[in-house]
Amino acid sequence: MAGLGIPVLLSGCGGELSVLAPAGPNAQASAWLWWGMFGWFTAVLVVVVALWLFALKRTPGNAPDAHIRKGQSRWIIWGGLVLPVSTIAVVLAFGLPAGQGMLPQEAADAKVLKIEVTAHQWWWEVNYPDSDISLKNEVHIPAGKPVDLHLTSADVIHSFWVPRLGGKLDAIPGHTNILRLHADEAGTYRGQCAEFCGREHAHMAFTVTAHDASGYQQWTEQEGRDE
Amino acid sequence: MSERIQQRNHEREQRLAHVWGNLPGWGALAAVNHTTVGLRFIATGLVFFLVGGLLAMLIRTQLALPEQDIIESALYNQLFTMHGTVMMFLFAIPVLEGLAMYLIPKMIGTRDLVFPRLSALGYFCYLFGGLIVLSSLVLEVAPDAGWFMYTPLSSATYSPGPGSDFWLLGITFVEISAISAGVELVVSILRTRANGMSLNRMPIFCWYILAMALMIVFGFPPLILGSVLLELERAAGFVFFATAGGGDPLLWQHLFWLFGHPEVYIIFLPAAGIVSTLIPVFARHPLVGYRWIVLSIITMGFISFGLWVHHMFTVGIPHLAQAFFSVASMLVAIPTGIQIFAWLATLWYGKVVFRLPMLWILGFLVVFVCGGLTGVMLALAPFNWQVHDTHFVVAHMHYVLVGGMLFPLVAGLYYWLPHVSGRMPSDSLGRWGFWLFFGGFNLTFLLMHLTGLLGMPRRIYTYEAGLGWEWLNLVSSIGGFIMAIGVAVVIVDIVLHFRFGQRAEQNPWGADTLEWAIPMPVNTYNFSSLPEISTRHPMWNAPELVESIAAGEHGLADVQALRRDIYGSDATTGKVREVVHLPTNSWLPLMTALALAVLCISLLVKAYLLAVVFTVMALVLSLRWSWENGAHPRAAPTDDNEPGAPPLHSRTCNGPGLWGMVVSLMADGTFFVSLLFGWFYLWTAAPEWTLPDHSPIQLVPMIFSGLLLTAAVGVFWVLVRGLRRRRATHLGPGMWLVAALGAGHWALLAGQLMSAPLAPTERAHDAVLTVILFYLLLHSGLAVIFTLLQAVRVRLGYTAARLPYEPIVIQPFWFYTLGVYWLSLLAFLLLPNAWSVG
Amino acid sequence: MKFSPFHPIHLVLGLVIWAAWFVFLYGGLSVGCAIAPPASEEQAGTWINGAIVAIALLVGGYLLWCAYRCMHASSDPKLQKDDRLKVFISKTAAAVYLVSAFASLALAVPGLVLPPCV
Repeated sequence: MAGLGIPVLLSGCGGELSVLAPAGPNAQASAWLWWGMFGWFTAVLVVVVALWLFALKRTPGNAPDAHIRKGQSRWIIWGGLVLPVSTIAVVLAFGLPAGQGMLPQEAADAKVLKIEVTAHQWWWEVNYPDSDISLKNEVHIPAGKPVDLHLTSADVIHSFWVPRLGGKLDAIPGHTNILRLHADEAGTYRGQCAEFCGREHAHMAFTVTAHDASGYQQWTEQEGRDE
Repeated sequence: MSERIQQRNHEREQRLAHVWGNLPGWGALAAVNHTTVGLRFIATGLVFFLVGGLLAMLIRTQLALPEQDIIESALYNQLFTMHGTVMMFLFAIPVLEGLAMYLIPKMIGTRDLVFPRLSALGYFCYLFGGLIVLSSLVLEVAPDAGWFMYTPLSSATYSPGPGSDFWLLGITFVEISAISAGVELVVSILRTRANGMSLNRMPIFCWYILAMALMIVFGFPPLILGSVLLELERAAGFVFFATAGGGDPLLWQHLFWLFGHPEVYIIFLPAAGIVSTLIPVFARHPLVGYRWIVLSIITMGFISFGLWVHHMFTVGIPHLAQAFFSVASMLVAIPTGIQIFAWLATLWYGKVVFRLPMLWILGFLVVFVCGGLTGVMLALAPFNWQVHDTHFVVAHMHYVLVGGMLFPLVAGLYYWLPHVSGRMPSDSLGRWGFWLFFGGFNLTFLLMHLTGLLGMPRRIYTYEAGLGWEWLNLVSSIGGFIMAIGVAVVIVDIVLHFRFGQRAEQNPWGADTLEWAIPMPVNTYNFSSLPEISTRHPMWNAPELVESIAAGEHGLADVQALRRDIYGSDATTGKVREVVHLPTNSWLPLMTALALAVLCISLLVKAYLLAVVFTVMALVLSLRWSWENGAHPRAAPTDDNEPGAPPLHSRTCNGPGLWGMVVSLMADGTFFVSLLFGWFYLWTAAPEWTLPDHSPIQLVPMIFSGLLLTAAVGVFWVLVRGLRRRRATHLGPGMWLVAALGAGHWALLAGQLMSAPLAPTERAHDAVLTVILFYLLLHSGLAVIFTLLQAVRVRLGYTAARLPYEPIVIQPFWFYTLGVYWLSLLAFLLLPNAWSVG
Repeated sequence: MKFSPFHPIHLVLGLVIWAAWFVFLYGGLSVGCAIAPPASEEQAGTWINGAIVAIALLVGGYLLWCAYRCMHASSDPKLQKDDRLKVFISKTAAAVYLVSAFASLALAVPGLVLPPCV
C-alpha cells in the first residue's frame, strides 16, 4: 500500500469510472474516507514493518526480568489494544455519519425525483413514473439535487454503480432498493453493473446524464413529446 | 550389557513398527495412519494449488491487454469460478487440515489421531470430490456462476447446464471430509494429550488448530444446508431461493457467507499458528504473551462468525444493521493486533537466527498487515459501497489469503521438511524462490488496489481501453507470471532437497516442541514410548527426552496384544485416564468413500435409483465399520493381563467416542439451526412468503409420534443410567424395546410425510417442511438402527455391565433426536398455526 | 455462574453470550422494524435505539461482573504454587469476559447515532 501513492500521483485519479474523481457529495465523502484511511494506514504499515525489521537486527541487552516482562506487556497493550481501538473509534466516528448522509432520507425538503430502474440480463430499463418516459441504458437526472433510483431486477442479481456519483446498490429480483444519487454539476457519468450476472456482465454499462435545471426541463419536454 | 539392551530395544521398536505400519503394496490404500494421511492431504492439496494457479495464469493472460479475445466470456466465467473454488475448497483448507493432522499427534506426544479410519475416509472424500469438481473443467461444463454461486444466477433457469450441480454436489462431498477432520482434531487435542500436558502447557499451535477445528464444525454446516437446498431447487424444483412461491435469493447469500466469512479465519488461524510456532524458535525466546494469544485465538474464533454481512453491504440492509457488522468486523483488528505485537515483542527480546523460513514469515507480515488494513477499510460501509465487487476487493482478498495463509504455509513447509525427509532444504534456491514470489505477488496485487479504485469491477472478462486500467492490468499480469516462476523455483527446491539436501541432525532448528523428539525421517508410531510433560517447552527444558523416549523409558513402550494403543487424558489437566485402543489398517474408508463418490456421480447424471442403491451401500459400509469398534474383540484384543489402571477406553463411561459424538452433534445442530434460521428468514423477509390456511401436517399424529419417541429415549436413558452404575439388568430386552418404540415413532412420522398434501414445488413453506420431515426421519431411523445393533451386541457380549461404552456414545444421539423433534414441532407447526389463528 | 471460576467453560462462555446478544440484536432489529417501525423523524431517538442501548448495558454489565469474579478468583491466596493451570484458566477467562463486555457494548454504539430502519 505504501508504494501506491506514487503511481496514483503519476496517473492522476481521473478516469470515467474513478472513485477518486468524485462528482457528487456522496462520492466525495467516500473519497475523503479513502484518503484519510489511506494516509493513516500507510503510516501504520510502515511503522510496524520498520519495527519488525529493527527487532530482527536488534541484539537484546541484559535487562532484568521484571523490566523485560513490563516491556513485553507494554508492546501488547499499546500495539495490540490501544492502536486498533483508537483507530476503529476514529474510523467509525467519521464513517458512520458519512454513511448516514448518503442514504435516502425522507428529507424535509422538496420531493425527491423518483426513477425506476429494472435490471435485465444484460441491460438496464429506466422508467420515470411521473412522466411516462422509458429509456434503455441511460438515465437522465437534474444536477445539483438528489434523485432516488428504485432498483429491482427482472432476472438475476445485478448492481447499479456510478462510481463518480456514489456507491453501488444491488438490484435483486423481488426486492426494491433505493439508491440516492446526487451530481454536483451537469455532465455525463458512466456506470457499470458491478455484480456478476452472467455471460455479458462485462458489457452491462450505462450512462447517467446530469442536466442543469433548464436543460433537464428541456429534456423532459422533448422526451415527453417523443413518447 | 548395553548391546543386549540395544538389541531388546530394537526388537521392541520392530514390534511397534509392525503393529503401526501400513500394509505393503496396494495395501497402502488401506492406511489410516495420521502421518500417511496427513502427507497425502498436503501433497494432493499442492497439486490442486498448481491447477488453481494455472487457471489464474489464464485469467491474467486474458486481462493483460484491453479488449482481448483469447478467452471468451463463457470460458472465462468457468475459469474464475473454478480458480476460487479450487483454491478455497481444494487447496487452502485441505492442506492446512493435512498439516494439522500430520503435526497434532506429534506435538501432543501421542501416536495417532483418535479416529484413524475417519482420517482415511476424509482423505478419500476429499480426493474423489476434488476430482469430480475438476472433471467438470475437462468435460467443459465447469460451474460458471462464481465460487459464491449466488442465486438466481446459479439456478436451473439461468444456469441450465450441469455446472452448478458439479459445484454443489462435489463441494458438499469435500466438506464431509473437512467436518470429519474437524471433529477428529477437536477430540484428539482435547482427549489424547501427553500425560501432564495441561491446557496451559499446550503448544500454541494446538490452540490455533483447536479453534480452527471447532470453527469448521460450526462453519461448514450452513453451506452444506445451502447446497442441499439449492440442489433440491435445481433438481426437484423445490422453492427456497426463487421469489415466486415465497423464497428469497438473499437467503442463499446469508447461508453462504455465514460459512464464507468464518472460512477466511479457518484458513488464517492455522497459518497464524505456524507463525506463532516458528517465531519463538528462530528468536530463541519463548513466545511473548502466551495467554494474550490464547485470548486472541478464542476471540477471533467467535467474532469471525459475526462478520458475514460485510460481504452483503450492498444488498440493501438497513444502515444500522450494517453498522453492527462494521463494528464487529473492525473488532477483529484487536486480536489480530495483539498477535502482531506479541510476535514483534518476541523478536524484540529474542536473539534472532535468520533462516529461510523466517524470510517467508517476514513476507507474511508485510503482506498480511497490508491486507488487514485494507480489510478495516472495507468494513466501513460507506467506503465498501464504492469498492465492493471491484478489483480493490480482489487485491485485498489476495493480500489476506496469500499473505495470511500461503506465506506462513511455505514457511511451515520448509520448517517441517526435515521432519519428513530427514534432509535440510537449500538456502540459496529457497531465497530466489521467495524473492520472485514476493516481488511478483506485490507487482500483481499492490497496484490492483488502484485498478479497483479506478472503477474496474470484478469478474469481467474484458474491458475497454481508455479508462486508465491498461497499464495497471499489464503490470498485474507480468507480476502474476513472475509469481508463477517463484512457485516453480520453490517446487524445484523442495523436490531437489529430497535427493541432494544435507542430512538433518536431530532437532535441526532448535525447536521447543515435541514433534522434534521423534527420530528423522519420521516413523509410523511417532514415539517409541509416550513421555510425561511438565513444561510448555519440552525440547528446551528437557532435551534428554529424545534419548529417554527412544530407550522406551516412558509409557506404553511395548505392544500389548497387537493393539494400537495411545493414552487418553483429561481435557483440562492432561492427566492420563485410559488406554485408547485404535483401529488398524482398513479398507472400509476407501470403500465407503467410493460408494459416496458413485452416489455423487449418480446424482449428477440424475440416475436417482442408482443413487438410492449407493446411499444404502454407504450406510451398510459405515455400519460394518462401526461394528468393529468399542469392545468388539477385533477392536480391543486383549491377552490375559488386560490393564486395570488405566483401563482400556472401551471399558469406561467417558471415552473419546462420546466426545466425538458430541462434537458431531454440534455440527448437526448447526445444520438444524441454519435451517431454523432459513425458515424464520423466509417467513419475515421473503417478499412473497405465504402461510397456508391449514397446515398440511396433522398435529395429533405428530404429537403421538413424539410421545413414542419420548418413551423410547426415556427407556434408553434408564438403561444407560444402569450401565453407568455397572448394572445391566434387562439390557438386551431394553434395547429391543427402545428400538420398537423408536420404529413406531418413525413409522408414524413417515406416514405423515407420505400422506400430507405438501406442495414443495409451489410454496417455500411446504418445501421447508418437507426438508425438516426428512431430517427428522433420518435421525430417528439412524437412532433405531444404532439401537438394534446394540441389542445384537448385548447378546454377543460386546456391550455389558463391564463394557458400558457404546450405549453411552449413542445416548446423546437419542437426546438430540428428541430435542430437534419437539423443537421442530414447535417452530414449524405450532408457531405458524398460532400465527394463522392470531 | 454455576461453574467454579476455574472451569474451562469460562474460556468461551463470555463470547457465547456475546454471540447470543449479536444474534438477538440483528434478528430483533429486523423483527422490530417489521412489526413496529418507528417514525423516521425520530432519527436515533426511537424505542428501538433505547432498547438496544439498555440491553447492551445489561449484557455488558453482567459480563464485567463475570470478569471481576474470575479475576478475583485467580488472585485467591489459597491457590497453591502448583495451581498454575487454575490461574491460567481464570485469568484468561477474565480477559475473555472483559473482551466480550467490550464487544457487547461496542455493538450498541451505532445505536446511539443511527436511526434503526433506514
